[in-house]
Amino acid sequence: MGRFWALFFIVTAVITFVVSWISPSMGWWFPTDGVAVFGMAQSTLGRKIDDLFYLILWIVSVTFVATNVALGYALWRGATIKPEEKVWFSHGSHSLEVIWTIVPSVILLFIALYQLDVWAAYRVRGFIKDSDGKPKQIVAVAEVTARQFEWRIRYPARGKTLKPIPQADDIYTVNELHVPTGDLVSITLRTDDVQHAFFVPELRVKQDAVPGKLIPVWFDTLVTKDYEMLCAELCGWGHYKMKAKLVAQSTEDFEAWKDKVSEEQFDDGYRKPAE
Amino acid sequence: MMFRVICPNSTSRTTRLSFQGVIVCGWALLSLGCGAGPQAEFKYREATDDLISDAERSVKSTLKDSFGTPNELVAWERFPINYGGIKGAVASAAGDKAVIVTLEGESEKIRNKTPILWLTGSVAGDKTPLVTVAGFNAETKQLTLAGVSELPNAGDRFVVGFGEDLQLGRHVYMKNCMHCHGVSGDGDGPTGQFLNPRPRDYRNGQFKFTATKSGEKATRDDLHRIVKYGIPGTYMPSFLLLGERETKVVVEYVRWLAIRGEFEKRLVAELSSDYSETSIADSVRKAEAAYAEKKKNKEEAEKPLSANKVAKAAASEFAKYSKEDLPAAIEETANLLTDAWTRAEEPDTVIVPSIHRVDDTAESRERGRLLYMSDKTKCYTCHGMTGRGDGAATEDFWPKPGTTEKFANRGLHDEWGNQLKPRNLTLGQYRGGRRPIDLFRRMYAGIKGTPMPAFGGTALKDNEIWDLVNFVMSLPYSSRQPSPAAGGNMAKLDEKPAH
Ligand code: HEC
Ligand code: HEC
Ligand SMILES: [Cu+2]
Repeated sequence: MGRFWALFFIVTAVITFVVSWISPSMGWWFPTDGVAVFGMAQSTLGRKIDDLFYLILWIVSVTFVATNVALGYALWRGATIKPEEKVWFSHGSHSLEVIWTIVPSVILLFIALYQLDVWAAYRVRGFIKDSDGKPKQIVAVAEVTARQFEWRIRYPARGKTLKPIPQADDIYTVNELHVPTGDLVSITLRTDDVQHAFFVPELRVKQDAVPGKLIPVWFDTLVTKDYEMLCAELCGWGHYKMKAKLVAQSTEDFEAWKDKVSEEQFDDGYRKPAE
Repeated sequence: MMFRVICPNSTSRTTRLSFQGVIVCGWALLSLGCGAGPQAEFKYREATDDLISDAERSVKSTLKDSFGTPNELVAWERFPINYGGIKGAVASAAGDKAVIVTLEGESEKIRNKTPILWLTGSVAGDKTPLVTVAGFNAETKQLTLAGVSELPNAGDRFVVGFGEDLQLGRHVYMKNCMHCHGVSGDGDGPTGQFLNPRPRDYRNGQFKFTATKSGEKATRDDLHRIVKYGIPGTYMPSFLLLGERETKVVVEYVRWLAIRGEFEKRLVAELSSDYSETSIADSVRKAEAAYAEKKKNKEEAEKPLSANKVAKAAASEFAKYSKEDLPAAIEETANLLTDAWTRAEEPDTVIVPSIHRVDDTAESRERGRLLYMSDKTKCYTCHGMTGRGDGAATEDFWPKPGTTEKFANRGLHDEWGNQLKPRNLTLGQYRGGRRPIDLFRRMYAGIKGTPMPAFGGTALKDNEIWDLVNFVMSLPYSSRQPSPAAGGNMAKLDEKPAH
């Protein structure tokens, strides 16, 4: 019976490993819709976050394999041990305890320090360098207001900068956030009611909207396309309704789109009477 | 008079109509229930349930025959609703089970087993068995039929998949709108009671934010905009990502619910004064009071009929009425609704300013301000001196429309009986849209079903309305912040101009 369980746990570990190994090539991975390779992030920072993720995944994988080999070995040895053989107890081994305390601590400390840069880029400073090596300017594109259950968005008029207080020539949309591709853009995130979270999975951007706070969120988009934009904080019965669209488009298209929306928004409805 | 049940994957069924010969033609029954979720029911108005039993039964069966149930919709063809389906005509025969056809519009895909409704020709009529599509070749336009006993002739007109749009509209509605607006469109869905303002009750046929002149219905375009962009400041959310087709069909379904609701309301109003339990009880009470009064004065008086007898008399009177006058009442109501909803789509019904927006200058805003404060418009009585929606009218008790009885709460109410605040104009939040034309239309035709009056045409000229629009649109950005010294009230809004 002991052998059965030993084999059972060894086989389980092997299957888990194989399935995880092949899953990216089988499409059982981050969502991919043609542009992305293996669900690769579509923003500069997102790729760095992915790199972190993969680094951790590697560490975890090596640990997983190592512990499972050790576990399999221990199970099999235990199951096949001869009655006359003497067992070895590791319990209370001081050197072993030192090793398994220090090694993980070093790894954790390494992760903690290594990720600081990405964290800072995400929350504290700009992170994209222009061709001349200077950090890219952050462009404030819009104020995004989450409310039960939709996203209301306010942009400055073409050629103007976003002001904290609404301006007469501001442009408004709902559930559709437009940004210029490639630029490092920021939105001011706020909520009208309860807590929501701004989430664009393909960009790896996620930020809670907290009542009473104006929270800047910055990101860039590497590919011109429509992205899914969601609420990632259970905010009420209509939470699922808060699905919107993030449209990344070239700067010219973005400006042209602003012109179009502005024209519609200031339409005075006058039409030349037909002769 | 027969109905045809058209249901994908099911056979035809015929039922009898309760009032024969009223509506000559144009009924078709769509069974839209086929496997479509749990049973849902249309609720009836309280006034309908208050009718005496014969009248109640008659109204309910009329409604059921004319509109069906949520799971088995009936398309009453006279109403201007796009029930959906692809219209076409037979061009020539092609073999013994196929015809070459011409289709109206794009003939993208016709699914097999889609039912075909024949509008003209020898195969038309209710007695012919259900004909369905057995195959369609988009290139040769050859339509193969299943279930035909005789081939239609060249020129016969038909609709493939009649009612598909209404069916899809029902589906979209049940999934996205029902929990607020209710199965019957009465604004009483499960979440509806927790919202302020309440979700719209469509059954008055009344919509607030329309482009049409006062007294007119909403256009498809209006409803489309509402569904797409939502109503900011209320719980009506935006359904921008719903998809063009889904939005279109759900708008048709909302119009259809509005027509059904108003049809019931008008028909019942016709009967209520004579054939409702309340009116009968009323008349009995009045007669008895008069009798008692006369007795007291020792006058000669005839003992009034007992309640039972009055009820019996009413019932027999209704039997006569339902034979002689009810069909006409139904016809008239249907006509009225058809006309109103048809008129809403006519270009003349839509408010188009006769001039461009007046330049948004300080002078124009000042003219607007003076109008706002004038007794010609009385805007300030509702929206307040500072535009914060706190005018004197919000402090008064107002009578219920058409009665002398007053509402229990202070302030304005809308047609649905809900308490309603005049808009705070300093927030820059416009429920009916923020385009200048939207505000122009709000002031021109008022906000229908609410106390916000119509000013266009008579009270104000178009250029005056534009001055008001300029003034109102400047309020959220104006530097005239109310000074705390003035008790948070009244900045310098009511000051006369300096020149
Ligand atoms: C969360 C609840 C909610 C949902 C879901 C909802 N509505 Fe509404 N709806 C409202 C409320 C509240 C109002 C009334 C706003 C007002 O009175 O200003 C309204 C008003 C309307 C109006 C009237 C506009 C007018 O001009 O009078 C229409 C039409 C409408 N909704 C259609 C829909 C459709 C179609 C759907 C589904 C696709 C839907 N609603 C889903 C809450 C909802
Ligand atoms: C009898 C009271 C009353 C008067 C007078 C009145 N209003 Fe209103 N007004 C209302 C109410 C109530 C609403 C809110 C209706 C609703 O949304 O259901 C409203 C809404 C509005 C809105 C908001 C439209 C939108 O899309 O959100 C504007 C703008 C407005 N009124 C301007 C005016 C102007 C300008 C005048 C004078 C020319 C005026 N009102 C006169 C009661 C009034
Ligand atoms: Cu949310």
